[in-house]
Amino acid sequence: MEEEQTVRELGHDEFDPNGTLALITVYFLILLVMWVFMYFVEFLGNELTVVG
Amino acid sequence: MNIHSYEKIWLVVAILLIVGFISTVTYGATAVGIDMVDDEGGTVNASALDEDPRFSEPRVEQVGDNEYEAYVVAQQYIFKPDPITVPANSTVTFFVTSPDVIHGFEIVGTNANTMVIPGQVAKITVNFNEPGEYGVVCHEYCGSGHHTMEGSVVVQPEDEFSHGGDE
Repeated sequence: MEEEQTVRELGHDEFDPNGTLALITVYFLILLVMWVFMYFVEFLGNELTVVG
Repeated sequence: MNIHSYEKIWLVVAILLIVGFISTVTYGATAVGIDMVDDEGGTVNASALDEDPRFSEPRVEQVGDNEYEAYVVAQQYIFKPDPITVPANSTVTFFVTSPDVIHGFEIVGTNANTMVIPGQVAKITVNFNEPGEYGVVCHEYCGSGHHTMEGSVVVQPEDEFSHGGDE
């Protein structure tokens, strides 16, 4: 067994959680689609609407 | 302060999202003209509805060109009048109140929807374009007969419209 192990120091800015970024991006896109769908299609498209 | 570049993206995007939500609601309220139900309808003596000029005789009344007012009483377990008859291509303001307990007034499958509170008058204005028929349900539990409490709104073609909901 080799005793030597590679140790890599990572600074704050070098650590890039790309998986997390991708996951959050997907969640965010779902949120955007649901926002547009719920307000503009489901709510505004759901005549009769209270206008006064 | 040391903020990671991904966090900066997240902060900006999250703020944009909030701004977006607020602008959407503002757009709805200004450009589309969507209104919230508020206490504008005023109050009424719930134990003396039969002496009230508006609610002693629940009805639909013409108040202008293509403008109508519907006075509706929601009570255990009916809506009066039933059906509420209005003409197509009209603007109808519903004044709804209750002599007994809290009810709901929802024109089924639409955004026309309010609570009906004894002593208060719920006021909602709605545009009816096409002739047709809508159901009305009570959506606040109001007692053992709640599930049977329903009414209807009949939108008649303009030329067939006979006054009121009392035929």
